[in-house]
Amino acid sequence: MSTLTTQDLYLSSFSQLQAKLPGQDAAWLKTLRLQALEQFKQTGFPTDELESWKYTNLSLSLLKESFTFDAPASTTAVAAQLKKAGFDTEKAHLMVFVNGQFSKELSSLKTLAKGVAVQNIASALTNETVKAFVGKIALSENRAFTALNAAFFTDGLFIQLEAGKVLDAPVHVVYVSTNAGQATQSHLRNLLVLANDSKANVIEHYWGENVSAYFTNVVTEAALAKGSTLEHMKIGQEDIKGYHIGSLIAQQEEGSHFTARLFSVGGALTRNDIETTLGQKKAECVMEGLYLAKDKQHVDTRTFIDHLSPNCNSTEVFKGVIDDQAVGVFDGRILVRENAQKTDARQSNKNLLLTKEAKVYSKPQLQIYADDVKCSHGSSTGQIDDEALFYLQSRGISREEAKKVLVYAFAGEMVEKIESAYLKPALKKLVDGWMEVS
Amino acid sequence: MLVIKGLKARVEDKQILNGIDLTINPGEVHAIMGPNGSGKSTLAHVLSGRPGYEITGGSVTLDGKDLLALSPEDRARAGVFLAFQYPVEIPGVNNTYFLKAALNAVRKSKGEEELDAMDFLELVKAKLKPLKMDESMLQRAVNEGFSGGEKKKNEILQMAVLEPKLGILDETDSGLDIDALKVVADGVNALRGKNRSFLVVTHYQRLLDYIVPDQVHVLAGGKIIKTGGKELALELEEKGYGWLTGEKVNA
Repeated sequence: MSTLTTQDLYLSSFSQLQAKLPGQDAAWLKTLRLQALEQFKQTGFPTDELESWKYTNLSLSLLKESFTFDAPASTTAVAAQLKKAGFDTEKAHLMVFVNGQFSKELSSLKTLAKGVAVQNIASALTNETVKAFVGKIALSENRAFTALNAAFFTDGLFIQLEAGKVLDAPVHVVYVSTNAGQATQSHLRNLLVLANDSKANVIEHYWGENVSAYFTNVVTEAALAKGSTLEHMKIGQEDIKGYHIGSLIAQQEEGSHFTARLFSVGGALTRNDIETTLGQKKAECVMEGLYLAKDKQHVDTRTFIDHLSPNCNSTEVFKGVIDDQAVGVFDGRILVRENAQKTDARQSNKNLLLTKEAKVYSKPQLQIYADDVKCSHGSSTGQIDDEALFYLQSRGISREEAKKVLVYAFAGEMVEKIESAYLKPALKKLVDGWMEVS
Repeated sequence: MLVIKGLKARVEDKQILNGIDLTINPGEVHAIMGPNGSGKSTLAHVLSGRPGYEITGGSVTLDGKDLLALSPEDRARAGVFLAFQYPVEIPGVNNTYFLKAALNAVRKSKGEEELDAMDFLELVKAKLKPLKMDESMLQRAVNEGFSGGEKKKNEILQMAVLEPKLGILDETDSGLDIDALKVVADGVNALRGKNRSFLVVTHYQRLLDYIVPDQVHVLAGGKIIKTGGKELALELEEKGYGWLTGEKVNA
């Protein structure tokens, strides 16, 4: 009955919190929050009876915990940690949120060109664009966590690019959760609005340094207008006490390019939904990801590419390495609608299991209703090749080192695909670090 | 240097080696010949520590060190090198990275300084030339998409880089055309020296025209049934194995 209890807890929290949430002067948001709460009330938390939550049972994990909304004001040496992690933050716009609140002191934005806005969304809630898009791309209907997020979000990133504007440096957004004794939660809403032919590079980076359990619930909405380009990277480095539920939902107009990458290494339980609608012709999307899990971690990645219009391309490659008794889930759905002729859609999911107890559920789904299309998908799950292991050992390389070499041979492809000089060294370090302590 | 005494081994329930006795002195090249299924490759595998074999008797020492007690990597560090009959393709692992990691692992175990990328590249380039290998292969993934000849040359290159005490060639001639065979044999011959020994496992005499052995052993039924000089290989080529194993000779 914990599900009901938890749901009730959220409903009662809302009446207490309502007046403190940002956007008190934005009537539209008040309405949105109330509607979302109503939707959450209807839907309740997902159970494993739902196909999309079949392999991720929240009643045994997330819903057993209870989290306070009173996040402690806290600070942390973000810049130093990023440097240590291999990021040259001088080269990026740095935005930092601590426990769901924007930290101006820890953030450092470079000079922005006219027609480029990069700010925390709580300071932009009366902005017409924010009003026009929030809750319109990521719908709360039948989505408990999106609804909860709409009702409770405290802050997040807002980027708006006017036509033709290019954000040269990446926007690196760090969401830190840090608590000393109380189980905390944060609900973050990001909005990225790219006008025609504009271009941005955004990094969402989640990490935790906690004593108690915590919960991060994030929703990112992205609107890509004609000819725009969005390079999005999500780095999941929640600590082992963290529950992370995140959605990245995009809508693409004609000729837009959307790259959504995911590097997920952290969290007790992580669920990522990444979706795009190729709404007009010649739009293109690339989804790539690497999830690494060990101990008893649970990492669930669900993607959905909606080919709504003709002449669109999508390429999707996800790889997972699962160690110890960890569980990986990949559910990748591609829908090619009747009108989406000349679609080119490719999907691949490969998993490497490092122990007999490690598990992966891989579910590629291709639904095609147009007849003139090129689509392919593939899924494989395997173990370390013993022959290769012995070959390396027979050359003097220790068994342990040889295993790492072979894991990196598998996972490193996802690092090598990264072109950004800002990200690549840090991601390599991240993967190496994961192997080091495993 | 290498002393094998009464070595017995089996795979699952099948006894393959039935008591091998063999001593190879420093600088010597010994050939092991024998019909299919005689245990030639098993001997090579057992010496290198490949998993899947159970040692049921006997001993193997290299310079007095108990080889059978060592892990495959420790055997390699002690100076054993197996040139595989079927070198393994390892997609995603760069050949240079692999060679350097291997060399540095071996050097480290000897208390020698590890080589940096520059010094290593210089070393490996010098070793490529005699094997007529293109530098581009250094940038490729280990054996991935290599032709049969390239794979075997890559084995010899690894051996040249690691400079083992004992080189075991497991059917290195299989799948090679005559030109590649000569290059590979030249590569091996260039490595011969008074402190390095070889155990050449082969089904055919052909390889021994190029890598001339000091001794030839015939293995059958998991035992050495005859030992002789290099002329024994020629005799086998002419007569087949039947006259030694007692099987009927096919006309």
